[in-house]
Amino acid sequence: MIPDAVALQTTGAIARLLINGLQAGAIYILLAVGLSIILGTLKFVNFAHGALYIIGAYLGLIIAQDPSFGGKLAEWGFGDIGLGFGYLAALVVVPLVVFVIGVLMERFVARPFYDRPDTDQILLTYGIALILTELFRVLFGGASRSIDQPPWARGSATGVPVLGDALTALGINAVSTWRIVIILLTAVLVGIVFVLIEYTDFGLTVRAGTVDAEMVELLGVKLSRPYLVVFGIGAALAGVAGLVGGPLVNFNPDYGATILVPAFLTVVVGGVGSIRGAVIAGLSFGLIQAGLVQFGFSEWAQVGIYAVAAVVLLVRPQGLLGQEVAA
Amino acid sequence: MSQSDETATEVDRETTDTSDRSTVGQSILEVDAIDAYYGESHILRDLSLHVEEGEICALLGRNGAGKTTTLRSIASTAEPEVRAGQIRFYGHEITHMATEDVAVRGISLVPEERRIFPDLTVEENIHVAEVVRNRSNVLGRNISFDREQMPDEDLYEVFPRLEERLSQKGGTLSGGEQQMLAIARALKQNPDLLMLDEPYEGLAPQIIQSVEAAIERIREDGTTVLLVEQNAVAAMNVADRCYVVDQGSVVFEGTAEELRNDEETRQRYLGV
Repeated sequence: MIPDAVALQTTGAIARLLINGLQAGAIYILLAVGLSIILGTLKFVNFAHGALYIIGAYLGLIIAQDPSFGGKLAEWGFGDIGLGFGYLAALVVVPLVVFVIGVLMERFVARPFYDRPDTDQILLTYGIALILTELFRVLFGGASRSIDQPPWARGSATGVPVLGDALTALGINAVSTWRIVIILLTAVLVGIVFVLIEYTDFGLTVRAGTVDAEMVELLGVKLSRPYLVVFGIGAALAGVAGLVGGPLVNFNPDYGATILVPAFLTVVVGGVGSIRGAVIAGLSFGLIQAGLVQFGFSEWAQVGIYAVAAVVLLVRPQGLLGQEVAA
Repeated sequence: MSQSDETATEVDRETTDTSDRSTVGQSILEVDAIDAYYGESHILRDLSLHVEEGEICALLGRNGAGKTTTLRSIASTAEPEVRAGQIRFYGHEITHMATEDVAVRGISLVPEERRIFPDLTVEENIHVAEVVRNRSNVLGRNISFDREQMPDEDLYEVFPRLEERLSQKGGTLSGGEQQMLAIARALKQNPDLLMLDEPYEGLAPQIIQSVEAAIERIREDGTTVLLVEQNAVAAMNVADRCYVVDQGSVVFEGTAEELRNDEETRQRYLGV
């Protein structure tokens, strides 16, 4: 093999690892950023965040396709409630609907519990997660589902103009267009949230409120409004995670609990309340997972994430970019 | 937060009108026989005081006498809970109002320990106070502001050192600079009543002089000041009138000159 070909092969392997890692990390990032801003700003521990992911996935399936559900819906004659409007329609509707669900959740569930101990918040939201899980099982049945990749995102991205040339130059001969879509979509959404939090008056209020809510109120700012929006944004991101993750995994009503653990781990490793931290931790987890799979250790992929998390938290208990909390 | 929610409906029902302020030289704040509690601890007992427009009024007393509790009661923070008595500002009752609604009526509190936002820059710390007038914050709250926010140039004329440190994080400032930032942040709203809780605490004598000068300047600009201070000597230097508080009740009311001449009160309640 000539040296240039070896270099290209190496570059290709690294690029593939990066793309697979970014895609795997993207789902963690979408979930963790929402969870982190809710936990960091509102100091509210939301164990129902995984249920919001499931709402996004099922809602996306109903809007995008024409699935047939089992469960009570079928018994009542509503088994074929799919709208078949396509994936793009789901991409518009899901975040809006889950945002509204998040707003209602903040107003009627979370707000009365802000001043209560963490254990009360955990019990409350865990209870809500259980209720929603069972509700989905009763309505839709327990069968695993997945969302079809939209036709425009099927096949290899190497056939896409400009992007395909760039991938080929990097030595990548085949990569799913869908993976690229997930990475770009996540980057855009997280970028929007980042700009909102870091560069707007709304974000300034939220960041100040995270540190000292009473002081912000003493300055005359009604914090309940930004809190409502923060919760809604966090929920919407979880819904989008469910929608974009839908074509990658087989989900069922229990999948919300499964995805919640790595999402919380991403938040804690990144540092509670830090968007940058959630992105770094999510990407790291994705890269570790993809790396272990690529080098033939796929059975260690999940273990690898937890091992790295344990080491990080031993060295920095406040997480990578978290604030140290005084005892 | 929960207390704010309980009072939000009440606040929304009435108009936050700050235009009825023609009572020059008269009482703008009246605290009338309030009893305040932290949980079951009875802190303020039948405490009454008033603050006149344009004056610097000092609230003095030993540690734990109830000075900070008085300011927090006026600002209507979640704690303490005022269970009896009334607090009126320009004749409108503000007892039990949401904290943010008291603030937009023209009362600014600079709490002890300054409580600046350490990760925000000096400019951002001050800008938080400007967000108050954003549409998203005032929508549906029936708020009308009759006073413009203080222009930056006026603010930095009082606190020139802050202008040199606009891009610096609040947490990296010295104690004196943090105190100036805390006062500047409150002043940005151009309040009718500025309440300062222990503004000299932990400051070097030279810095105390700078803060004293700033307070004098604030008064000259027409802002009424209610000052809580353990450093009685420093407070009497700038105050027109003084109250001495002991065990949650007012035990002395008079001019700063009268307090200076009342050796028994000074020694018994202030230790000076």
